[in-house]
Amino acid sequence: MPKENKTYFERKLERIYAEDSLPARQYVQIRQSKAFMEKYYSDRVELNELAREAFMSRFHYVRIFQRMYGLTPRIYLRDLRISKAKGLIRQGLSITQVCLDVGYESVSTFSSLFKKCTGYTPKEYQNLHNSNLE
Amino acid sequence: MIKIYVTSVPVEDQGKALDFYTKILGFIKKKDIPLGEHKWLTVVSPGEQSGVELLLEPMAFEPAKLYQRSLKEAGIPWTSFAVDDIGKEYQRLCNLGVQFSIAPRQAGPVMIAVLDDTCGNYIQLMQEL
Repeated sequence: MPKENKTYFERKLERIYAEDSLPARQYVQIRQSKAFMEKYYSDRVELNELAREAFMSRFHYVRIFQRMYGLTPRIYLRDLRISKAKGLIRQGLSITQVCLDVGYESVSTFSSLFKKCTGYTPKEYQNLHNSNLE
Repeated sequence: MIKIYVTSVPVEDQGKALDFYTKILGFIKKKDIPLGEHKWLTVVSPGEQSGVELLLEPMAFEPAKLYQRSLKEAGIPWTSFAVDDIGKEYQRLCNLGVQFSIAPRQAGPVMIAVLDDTCGNYIQLMQEL
């Protein structure tokens, strides 16, 4: 159980978050938009829609999201889709099906993003997974 | 493209550390290669077995021991692991006798908790909200 005496680390944490200027309401709004991405990543998700979900202007939304999570909503959504795609490829779905299931309309766009994020094309990743199974 | 493939936590006793990191925390042993009096001993997350490995690194270098001890005394976690549900994980680990210096609490956009790995380190658990 937690100790009575606070450590140096805990005191620092408390100071940092006491001074944090982001209001609690904004954390909640940004989290809602992130939850929206996690739910609808397989659909066409627009930045305007995400900003609306967080009750913010586009500019403000991107700035606050990046401050909270260290990356832009666009990159977060891309990484989320690629991570889901890896799981679907491992489950044995075809590349085209995976591409559509994670919200991309073009296989070539999907393949080049997949390669950029993982270092492998979807096909190479599929082959790698299949050879690991053997 | 450059990638992170291994990171490490310093441990006093590799055997004890392997027990804690696998049987308690839930990692899986990946490499166990004898290297003189110690081993190249790594564990991985069950969900990402081809992902980043965590090296349970023996503390054989005196200044490193001092560094490790100083961090521990200040309550500073050596590293941080992600969990899906920090409340559930906290309860599970408490039931297994793990000691926490910080119970789950919110820290900006994440929830954190800090546990004692019994190998000389505090480890932070993090759930992204």
